[in-house]
Amino acid sequence: MSPHPLFGRLMTVLARTPAVGIGIAALLLVASLALGYHNEGQTRADRIRDVEVQARVLAASLAGPLAFDDAVATSEYIDALKASPDFDAAGAYDAKGRLVAGFARAGEPLPQINRVVPPKVRGTEIIVTATVEQGGTKLGSVYLGTATESWSRRAGRYLGIAIVLVMACLLVAVLGAFYASVSAANRRLQAEIAGRKGIEEALRQAQKMEAMGQLTGGVAHDFNNLLMVASSGMELLDRTTDPVRRDRLKDGIRQAIERGAKLTQQLLTFARRSPLSPEVVDVGERIRGLQDLLERSLREDIHVELDFAEDLWPIEVDPSQLDVAVLNIAINARDAMPNGGTICISAHNYPAGRETPHDMVRLSIRDTGSGIEPELLEKVFEPFFTTKGVGTGTGLGLSQVYGFVQSSGGEVRIESAPDKGTTVFVLFPRSSQPRPRGRGANGSFSRAEHDATVLVAEDDEHVATLVCEMLRELGYKSRRGATATEILRMLEESGPFDLVLSDMIMPGKMNGLELAQEIVRREPGLPVVLMTGYSDAAVSVRTKGFPLLVKPYTIESLGQVLYHALRSTHRHAQSGSL
Amino acid sequence: MGETRCASRFVVGRICAAPLAALLVLSIALQGGPARADTPRQRTIKARYLYKFAPFVQWPASAFESPTSPLAICIAGQDPLGPALDEAGRSQPVNGRAVVVRHVDAVHPGMGCHILFTGSDPTTEESLRAIAHEPVLTVTDSSTGGSGGIINFVTMAGRVRFTIDKNAAQERGITISSKLLGRAVNVAR
Repeated sequence: MSPHPLFGRLMTVLARTPAVGIGIAALLLVASLALGYHNEGQTRADRIRDVEVQARVLAASLAGPLAFDDAVATSEYIDALKASPDFDAAGAYDAKGRLVAGFARAGEPLPQINRVVPPKVRGTEIIVTATVEQGGTKLGSVYLGTATESWSRRAGRYLGIAIVLVMACLLVAVLGAFYASVSAANRRLQAEIAGRKGIEEALRQAQKMEAMGQLTGGVAHDFNNLLMVASSGMELLDRTTDPVRRDRLKDGIRQAIERGAKLTQQLLTFARRSPLSPEVVDVGERIRGLQDLLERSLREDIHVELDFAEDLWPIEVDPSQLDVAVLNIAINARDAMPNGGTICISAHNYPAGRETPHDMVRLSIRDTGSGIEPELLEKVFEPFFTTKGVGTGTGLGLSQVYGFVQSSGGEVRIESAPDKGTTVFVLFPRSSQPRPRGRGANGSFSRAEHDATVLVAEDDEHVATLVCEMLRELGYKSRRGATATEILRMLEESGPFDLVLSDMIMPGKMNGLELAQEIVRREPGLPVVLMTGYSDAAVSVRTKGFPLLVKPYTIESLGQVLYHALRSTHRHAQSGSL
Repeated sequence: MGETRCASRFVVGRICAAPLAALLVLSIALQGGPARADTPRQRTIKARYLYKFAPFVQWPASAFESPTSPLAICIAGQDPLGPALDEAGRSQPVNGRAVVVRHVDAVHPGMGCHILFTGSDPTTEESLRAIAHEPVLTVTDSSTGGSGGIINFVTMAGRVRFTIDKNAAQERGITISSKLLGRAVNVAR
């Protein structure tokens, strides 16, 4: 329940300036005093009116006795008033104003001569006089003196209000003080939180820099080796004419470049900037292929058991990410078993049921290690969470698993108990695509008879030249433009083109994806293929339905993608014309 | 004996709580009445009372010539009150009417009196009969042998009191305030 915003603001003001609180209390006090004063006046006026009425009633009763000198009867009437403690004095006077009968309890004695005057208040007494008359003839007068309300009675009347007032003032004071202390505590807490956040940020940055340092060092070393192979290979290529030797040199160079490409891919995976390139895979087959690597990354005293169902459904994931995820889980399992043990990797179909609405494939990786404390269990997927010592773990392993599984549409669960081992379950949705066929069935794109013209959008001169060369090699004609504006102009003026091949990142207002969408809007039949090194937008490209080439790519994969793009458009065009 | 007073004084309009006792007292008073002569003080009181009856009595409008015409108090026959009446005569107006005192020799209808006091007049009964249906408040005095007036002065334990014949008043169209009825020692209804 949150308090009313106005109340909250009032409390804030109260907390900030105690003067406001005192002011409010004073205001309450003044208001109630004013109210009391008004009330007092009202009560007195009421009281006077009451006494006047009583005096008039008495006067009417005394008309007869006073007119006919019946002092006894007059006394009886007057004495009847003695019964009420309210009357301090009462007197009956004849027509000449002389006292006939009366009494005075305390204070001033009765006047011997009465004169009829308007009611007056003398000290604590209300004095009321009235004429006794009959038929317009004045026969006498009466005198009544009554006490104004006694102090004790008045106190009783105001006690309730006074208590409420005091309580209200106290409440204001207490609330103000309480709010002040709470907000002071809150401010301290916020300052502390801000400080800690800063420290955490700094720590995180330091860890990141440390990891980056290690990584870049290693990568630079590897890259230098590859560059050495490539550059020396090129030099030697120029100096020899022996075809056999040239082929060997070219092979060496190509291998070096492929290894370089793989290395950058791994870097991007680590940076988690690499676009997912999902493929339909058989989990069992994929992990069996990983067994060598697994056994090499783990220790000799760790035994790996594989258990895959025969008819596993296919799933659609990025295979290299899957490898990394399995490796990460396995390395964690290894570290949980310092004295050796068994890692059991199994996969089974997990049909739709109560727990999942879709068919899933469940991959479970179980170890016989030390397990995880229940209170740490929910933290293990957080980035940088690690139980390992400084320098041995980055805390990124399971967070990679989590990120990968999430972006693949699956889910990950972990079950563990201390000394009972840990099991990580990864669920992937079943793919509707058919099972992957064996490799080698798609090698016929090196040189085909195409007569298509490709418009290349690429701002980097060197890359553009190379891509055009590759296209020429594949049998395509090509034209190139550097900006989206130029490309659109060329489409209008220098067409027709059969396909547009565009880089994702372009100078100018429009990037590759926007250019592609614009082209499709203008010419719905024209296929567009996008290429990128890496980009956050790469994932969305896939959802927008454009084919994507991830740099660096081989001439073969270029040919394959272009071939498919042209063929699908051709088919669409045919079905459209029918 | 003088303390025997009617309780109805306090509760106006009620029947007297002890009418028999009152009658007994009255009869004693009447018997002893003519034998004693009034003291001057008693005469003064009677004179004052004659004036004081007026505010407690309502006459029919026909009894006055106009709304402002004076209220007349008439003394018939020999004046037993003498100068006492004149002393008391500097009276205030009653219901806006000036009060005048007249001495009349003969009582007859249409004489313009509102209160008629018959003093020690041997023809009292006769004169009262003459105006039996006039709206006149007749006052008699038992100490001079008078009786039969609507109001009749009596002396009880040395004090001047009076009886009231309410029915006679009603017959003449005169209304007497309950406050006055309450003062009377006996009210014939």
